[in-house]
Amino acid sequence: MRLYKKEGNIVQILSFPNETAEKGDYLLVEDAEAKKALIVQIIDIQFANIPGVLEELLRSPPYRGEIVQGEDVDPLEIAPHITYIQDSRLLICKIRATVENGESLSPSSSWLPSRSQSSIRRLPIPTLLKLARVDGKLPIVLGTTKETSLLTVDASALDGRLNIITGKKETGKSHLSKLLITALLHYGATVVVLDLNGEYAGLGMTADGKRNAYYHKIHVLTPAQNFKVALKQLHLNELMNILIHALHLPGTSAREFRRIWQSLRERNALTLSELGEAIRNWHCNQNVRDALFSRYYAMVNSGFFTDNIAEATLLEECLLKAREGGGAIIIDLKDISTIDRQMVVEYLLGKLVEMLKSWRLKAVFLFAEEAHLYLRETYWDDIVTRMRHYGIFTTFITNQPDTIRENIYRQADNIFLFNFTNEHDLETVSRAARIDAETVKSIAMDLPPHHCLVLGKIVKDFPIVVKVRALDVKTMGETRLFFTETPIKNTS
Amino acid sequence: MDLTLPQRFIELSIHSLKHVQNQTLQLNQQTIQQANNNISQEPPYAVINNINGFFKPITLKPKTEETITAAVDTSSIKLGETSTGIITAIRGTCIWKRGKSYTYLRIGPFIFHITEENQKEVYRALQAAYFQEQSESQAQPNIMQTPMRMANLLEKWLQQTLIRTVSGGLILFDGSLTAGTPDTPTSQLKEILKSARASGNTVLAFSKMTTLRLNGYLITDMLSTQKPPCIIAIPEIKPKPPTVLLGEVYVAKLTRGNCAFRLDIDKEVPKEKQIEAVERLIGNDLITQSYPETLRLAHILCTFTANEVIAMRHFIQHRYRIKIIERLDMHRLLFGPFGKGESHSEAL
Repeated sequence: MRLYKKEGNIVQILSFPNETAEKGDYLLVEDAEAKKALIVQIIDIQFANIPGVLEELLRSPPYRGEIVQGEDVDPLEIAPHITYIQDSRLLICKIRATVENGESLSPSSSWLPSRSQSSIRRLPIPTLLKLARVDGKLPIVLGTTKETSLLTVDASALDGRLNIITGKKETGKSHLSKLLITALLHYGATVVVLDLNGEYAGLGMTADGKRNAYYHKIHVLTPAQNFKVALKQLHLNELMNILIHALHLPGTSAREFRRIWQSLRERNALTLSELGEAIRNWHCNQNVRDALFSRYYAMVNSGFFTDNIAEATLLEECLLKAREGGGAIIIDLKDISTIDRQMVVEYLLGKLVEMLKSWRLKAVFLFAEEAHLYLRETYWDDIVTRMRHYGIFTTFITNQPDTIRENIYRQADNIFLFNFTNEHDLETVSRAARIDAETVKSIAMDLPPHHCLVLGKIVKDFPIVVKVRALDVKTMGETRLFFTETPIKNTS
Repeated sequence: MDLTLPQRFIELSIHSLKHVQNQTLQLNQQTIQQANNNISQEPPYAVINNINGFFKPITLKPKTEETITAAVDTSSIKLGETSTGIITAIRGTCIWKRGKSYTYLRIGPFIFHITEENQKEVYRALQAAYFQEQSESQAQPNIMQTPMRMANLLEKWLQQTLIRTVSGGLILFDGSLTAGTPDTPTSQLKEILKSARASGNTVLAFSKMTTLRLNGYLITDMLSTQKPPCIIAIPEIKPKPPTVLLGEVYVAKLTRGNCAFRLDIDKEVPKEKQIEAVERLIGNDLITQSYPETLRLAHILCTFTANEVIAMRHFIQHRYRIKIIERLDMHRLLFGPFGKGESHSEAL
């Protein structure tokens, strides 16, 4: 390999056919005299622009639909040299860091290694990880790199961070999030999962249906079933958030509701039936009453609210239990309507903030699948700013990257990027501050299923492609198919 | 087609390169590719003047009876300079069309290191190997002319071999049928034409460029208003001694458009057979811009591409440990942005 060109932080390296190099590989451009080396990553491989190649290809058969066949008598055996030159490649590489004295890393690319004297060699991922000190006391094995070495990251790199897992459908996003969840559980973390498709309920079971090590740490809460809330437990603000943001209660009606609520609280009559009665008898405009009634019935019909305190303690119990030895609270949002889903999430986030504020919880890792389906607009900023300070560390999982706001990408600390073929999707992801657009577009497009480009602090800003390791957990939430031999159940 | 390898070419190539080991090779600013029989090689003719007679164009009717059309072309290229000489590459191509298929045999490249010391030896050894009956008076080329002369020798050898292999066909040469020039001795060309006739072949030589003028006008402009395919015979061309013309000279316009070429056909072939040969050519070969495809392919296949030049330099660099260095461009060095480079300097 020979150093050919450097423009900005892009280095072009000429590579010959006998040298293997693939997109995503790291190379070390060493200038022995300067006692420095550049760590560069291949982001694209092109044919070297060899003069005369076009002519060479044009005169090769087939020709004008006629058959031109022939024989070459090549006594000096020049042909292999022609092929060698023709097949030479140009590696487009991004400068990632500078190594000085073989040890210290700096992100600088302000120096220029010697073109004639520099030696270029592949930098094995384990060596890179060692140099970058991608290690720690809480290792998580994400999977294997292309060199079949293990990629081990530190769980603390997820602590206090905003993460995004994205990629097109069926590339392995949920699988990776399950891997991260189980790893966090292993280290005693509290995890809350907003499970849109009921995929995470089997985290406590092995693939063959047996209990695994996390069985007792997994708590599946299904709204209106084992996850309910009593009005008495609610703070007015939490309920107002539900009414205003999930049920879109207008301002005037909200003011009346506030009065009703205070009146009920003074009478210690915070029950659903009392609330219904109060709305019915309240002296107010008929339109306001109608508005309040429609929201009231939405709450009642959701089944999420109860007057029985005993039914409404499980969330807090689970969270407190998880605080001790780690645990995952899976909120199963599969079979509930959009409005109910929004009510549940409003309540849940309010509850988490309340518990974190009062230090009843230390911190929570929140995994949110397709959050745009239940998260209200104003929460996006809240999650990355205010809630993060309370200790809610969110991981967004989505196959529609444009549903996540640009400012979320800008503030994301870690991105786990699976394959995307749509340039618009990659354009969206490439807005992340911790990565350059060329790397995202070039590498992510060629990622095979279950391969993920890990970006951000977790890999010390050295993008690494990893094949996510298999996980022995029960697969749930599989897509129901028509063309299968599963018989239709007789429900009559 | 059975063509034995020009063994002597290989031996001389390897032998010459052995003496260049561990030297430095200076690259040219521009590689110079030389195709044989180009305009600079056209021998001086007596100017055809004061002919007032009417030249009647001969209209051609394509004859489709199956005839093999075959062509030969060679090229040479200078790869660079060593401290003692130049390194050059030579390659030749034979191509023939039978039915709808073209088949080619490409020989080379042969790479030679030519120095003042070995150039006579190399050239003479090749001459002796392929054309035993050489006149001693034939001028020796200088070092810069040697690659083209050697390519010419290879071309003559390929022509001879092709003529002996094909029978009843049309043999297309690139250039004219002029002999008595330093690179084409009369006896040599006569021998080739004789062999062609003996095998029932007709030799047709197409010149891509000509300086031949009639009453001050280029002969290739004579057919500009004629409907193709047609040819017109140019009589009474008297070359300046010692050059001799072994062909009947025609101007051929074989397809629509503005292209017409000088066409030399073996003089010893009867007139009607000459015309019939052109008719068989247009009935059997693809003709584009009045030029036969077989000959065009022969040229395309033997020409060196820039990629091949790099590959050959890579070969000599690795096999013979030659260090390649870029020659300083004195014009650029001395005059900076005002120096246009060596390639321009000569024209200025």
